[in-house]
Amino acid sequence: MHLLKHIARLAAVPAAVVAVNVGAADPLPPDTTYRPLPTQPFSDVKRMDEAQKPKVMQRQSALLGQRYDLANRPVPGVMMSGGRKAVQGGVRVRLREGTTWDRLAAMSPQEIRDRGLLPDGFKPLPHVKHATGGQVFPQNQIDEINRLEQRDLRRFDVDLDLPDHLTPEFPPPIFLTTHTELGDVSRGQLLSIRNYYELMTGLITPVQMEGLRLLLTPFPQEEFNQTEDRKVAAPSLGVACLDCHANFHTNAAFHLTPDVRPQAARFRLDTTSLRGLFNQQIHGSKRSLRSVEDFTEFEQRTAYFNGDHVSATRKGANLPDRTNQVAMMAQMQNIIDFPPAPKLDWRGRLDPTKGTAQELAGERVFFGKGRCSECHVAQTSFLDNNMHDLKLERFYRVGETANDMVALPDGPIKTFTLRGIKDSPPYLHDGRLLTLADTVEFFNLVLGLKLTAQEKEALTAYLMVL
Amino acid sequence: MPTSRFHSAMNVLAVVLPSLASVPAMGQIGNPGGLDPATSESAPGTPAPGQTNATDKLFVKLVGMGNAGEVDLGKLAEANGSHAGVKAFARRMAQDHSATATKLSAAAKPAGIPVPTAPGPDQKATRASLEGLQGAAFDAVYLQAQLIEHQKTVQLLEWEIGSGQEASLQRLAMETLPVVLDHLAMVQALIAETRGTVPQGLAGAQLAERMTRP
Repeated sequence: MHLLKHIARLAAVPAAVVAVNVGAADPLPPDTTYRPLPTQPFSDVKRMDEAQKPKVMQRQSALLGQRYDLANRPVPGVMMSGGRKAVQGGVRVRLREGTTWDRLAAMSPQEIRDRGLLPDGFKPLPHVKHATGGQVFPQNQIDEINRLEQRDLRRFDVDLDLPDHLTPEFPPPIFLTTHTELGDVSRGQLLSIRNYYELMTGLITPVQMEGLRLLLTPFPQEEFNQTEDRKVAAPSLGVACLDCHANFHTNAAFHLTPDVRPQAARFRLDTTSLRGLFNQQIHGSKRSLRSVEDFTEFEQRTAYFNGDHVSATRKGANLPDRTNQVAMMAQMQNIIDFPPAPKLDWRGRLDPTKGTAQELAGERVFFGKGRCSECHVAQTSFLDNNMHDLKLERFYRVGETANDMVALPDGPIKTFTLRGIKDSPPYLHDGRLLTLADTVEFFNLVLGLKLTAQEKEALTAYLMVL
Repeated sequence: MPTSRFHSAMNVLAVVLPSLASVPAMGQIGNPGGLDPATSESAPGTPAPGQTNATDKLFVKLVGMGNAGEVDLGKLAEANGSHAGVKAFARRMAQDHSATATKLSAAAKPAGIPVPTAPGPDQKATRASLEGLQGAAFDAVYLQAQLIEHQKTVQLLEWEIGSGQEASLQRLAMETLPVVLDHLAMVQALIAETRGTVPQGLAGAQLAERMTRP
């Protein structure tokens, strides 16, 4: 039957008839949205978690090994800004057998989906233990906080799943917009509640100092608290903002998004650097909060409690005062600068007298065929302050489960800055891409760019100088 | 007759449906904080087969009622629907959900969870609202109910994958989820076609792709 004829017939159906069923439906079970209360004593949970741990780590390690080449292969001569760690190079995402990047890029999304050829490394990355989720810290952070504060950030159920060489340098350098002449002011130390005052007195204002103190003060968190629901051996004071955003950067600690339910549908979140926050207009990969004050205030319910204020109330909610505390925390965050990029001018463009031929070629790709600059606008810190949906689900079959995570469309995600990007692996909101070369291959495919090998290499070289 | 757009959606599904072999054989490794306290372990930290928690039990109940309702409504819609695509979809629902009902019984049996064989209150309400309707009016109500039912089932399957305990039930949930998402895309495609609107959800992603690429 012709479509128009249908529309004509359907026009006679009153809308009220179509809505009849909605009111009659039972709701879904409550713990599809709310965190259920624990059912077992702590000692049993801990014993079972510890027994499961080797299998959990082995399973995640197998998934990572199947998806990526995890080898330690630095780019010769390219270090992160503090000079403490080499930047890793090369495409690490493994292709499906019998295909090449060029052949893949020549196929339509539909053909890639129908033949199951999208590399698994391009799909959403599961949490190391997705059914539990929560914050997971790298060993260097755990060791340093233990040494400085005798506070335990080690979980008994999981460890961080990425090898150390694929994470940011530690501790990361700290650059202040208020003292660009000083360069890195971290003195090679990790900021903590024990040392922040002596490190920062004379450099920052009283309100910034108070903000810093609050950002370093531990508060109860879903896995780090006093209840039988915790994942840390002893009852814990909690975690601090800068436990993940180490020195206002990132240490590759990860979490699950607080913005999605049920648990299996939540995507992994790689910690975002706070460098250059002063130019960022929206915050949170999904929530698009419009000020750093809003974000700082609400993280007590999200990063700390997965967007479940009911659970927060049980374990100990911290409600920072908007004018006396939140504003000061925001003022401290707003003076954290990007690392230096001496080859860029004030507009974020390469100085032609400073860039190499390859870097300049990469910049041309970035602003031309590569279409990167359509979202990563150079003059506004490589941000467009928008969220975009890449519609990756065009390329793979949605709904398949990997390590207890269901691969679903990511939907709109905010544009992240590219300033200082070589300092903050892994990439994408969930950290599914290990190197900048991986991100170039990812966007080459997803945006249908058909870049040549030479253009991809130039683009990667350009990203290293941002 | 179904238009070419609906045929396209069906063809896509026909290609991807056999690719279930990649589903892992094990259940998830859950948070022991949510296990039934009486759970016996086959190895330290691993619930023995047939050991269930409250999520497993409610999942079997809700999905069991859903399957029974889908088979019942599918037969009704194949008889009373008017659009050829709706009738084909209804036949497919009766077949697929009947097959899933058999698998659910097999998976729930070792755990001793009773599987409902009759539709639940939601499905009964849908049937009541369809009684006496004919033609396009029947199609519209059936499709709207199918949309809601499949949207909810997707969340239920994800819930079992993340919060259940019994490995065979979780495996079933993992295997079934991509198929239910395909069903959802088919409903979305049919609603778009019969209402003359743009397709939403996965149907939008899939069909937009087909229309923009050769």
